[in-house]
Amino acid sequence: MIPGKLALPFLLLPGVGFLVVFFGTPLVLAVFSSFGIGVIGTNASGLTLAHYTELVTTRAYRDGLWFSIYLAVVSTLVSLAISMPLAVALRGEFPGKRLFQMLYKMPLVVPTVVAAFFVMLFLDRGGMVSRVLLPWGIEVPRMVRDPWAIGVITAMTWKAAPFMTLIIAGAVASIPDDLRHAARTLGASPATVFLRVDVPLALPGITAATLLTFIGSLGAFAIPNLLGPIYPQPLAIHMYTNAFEQNKWGLVAAMGTILSLTACLVLIVYYRATRSMRDAFGGEVR
Amino acid sequence: MRADRWLSIGLYLALALLLLLPMAIGFLWSLVDPRVGWFAPDLYPKSVSLFHWTRALADRGLVETIFTSVFISVIVTALSAILALPTAYALAKVPFRGKRFVELFVLAPLIVPGLIVGVGVGVLFLRAGLAYSILGVVLVQTIGTLPFMIRVLASALEAIPNDLIHAARTLGASPATVAWYIVVPLAWPGFVAGGLLSFISSFEEFEKTFIVGSPVIQTLTIKLWGTLGGQVIIFPNASIVTFILLVPVLVVFFLAERAMRNERALAAGMGKL
Repeated sequence: MIPGKLALPFLLLPGVGFLVVFFGTPLVLAVFSSFGIGVIGTNASGLTLAHYTELVTTRAYRDGLWFSIYLAVVSTLVSLAISMPLAVALRGEFPGKRLFQMLYKMPLVVPTVVAAFFVMLFLDRGGMVSRVLLPWGIEVPRMVRDPWAIGVITAMTWKAAPFMTLIIAGAVASIPDDLRHAARTLGASPATVFLRVDVPLALPGITAATLLTFIGSLGAFAIPNLLGPIYPQPLAIHMYTNAFEQNKWGLVAAMGTILSLTACLVLIVYYRATRSMRDAFGGEVR
Repeated sequence: MRADRWLSIGLYLALALLLLLPMAIGFLWSLVDPRVGWFAPDLYPKSVSLFHWTRALADRGLVETIFTSVFISVIVTALSAILALPTAYALAKVPFRGKRFVELFVLAPLIVPGLIVGVGVGVLFLRAGLAYSILGVVLVQTIGTLPFMIRVLASALEAIPNDLIHAARTLGASPATVAWYIVVPLAWPGFVAGGLLSFISSFEEFEKTFIVGSPVIQTLTIKLWGTLGGQVIIFPNASIVTFILLVPVLVVFFLAERAMRNERALAAGMGKL
């Protein structure tokens, strides 16, 4: 017999138990300590919103939250703009497709710190881009440690675009070719097929890829730390410095909670939006 | 020329420019001759030498860091496999209420940013005396590798026919015997793919390791961060650490690609969200 209900708790215990102890519990404790309950290193306890008030009233943290959101939104949108056409291109046949499919995924496993190093080599002052453009007399604007965070966004996009392509290509590949042929036969242009057939049918994959990238970028730490401007700094960096240099755990927990809440909010809004989009397209596709 | 040729040329050009060129330039930096240097506007170093490589490989600290990194990643991979197998089995073969919830919870560590997990765990580890220890780093990295392992193993186990397990049990095999002689061998490709993925994600992990281990425990990513974050960035040193880090990761990655019969297992897992 296959182990039944009796064995279930023992089967789930090692894996799920590990994650409950080392992943779930710390996050729940963090939410509690953001409200002043059981904050480590302080005697004052009791329900309080002081940590959230400090977060909202301190200019550097407020700017930090907006900067985190800015980085996540822009890098996710740029990655999406690259990965959607790429995913559609990968469905077609072309010479060397297998090799390409293997190679384009490399950034998935390249450490974020290495991605930051590559961006430094190319975009920093005296980097390869400025060296190539120098003979034409083109002066490159500051792109590393710049206020618009071009370097940060480049590095984050470099990491995220292949990941998004992988997921979206999976969704695109599961669309039956017949549907597209039918649309073409009925007189739709390739652009119409892309917008009216491919995009709506691949929407679950696109949604998942966008959300995962957005949430991941929201907590970006290493790349902004190495390539970002001195001010503003994303909330993730404030979290780190407040935790390990100032020991303000309550404030850190509040920042973590706000970041997680922002992520949840985006999740809900995006799911709503894509569902209504699918409904709007759905009638015409069928 | 046919359209697919143009597509191929365009895609490979982009690949060369965006992926291979950065790696090539990065590698050239490790070969710069310290007596000549590599200054703007030169597009390539005027003179190359192995000076930085010979010095780096004679550096006891760096060699020790390599060993620490590999040691941690091997332990993390083994621990993940042991912890993941029973849970993956339950998800693949045992019907139960709330399975969907367990599936989502198990994938959640992949979604929550590493820094948030790291800070949350880091606080507790400081208290429990696990911070700045190999054990602490192993535990915090396993949070990130376990979801991969459970996901990949579960999809490998789903493919094992239930009849085989029933037959063995009817013929008198104990659950342990079934696990050892039927489940593990048949799910072996899953172990290989999941193991390689876990190894990579542990080897390249930065945020959680940094918070729990740095500066006492040095892995390669943390060493590279230290090299790049300093006041004076010495590109050749950064380049050497980069390639010591990158070469094993890419080799293991290509092996994993071949080991995964269903290369979209993970993508499908993520798409489920």
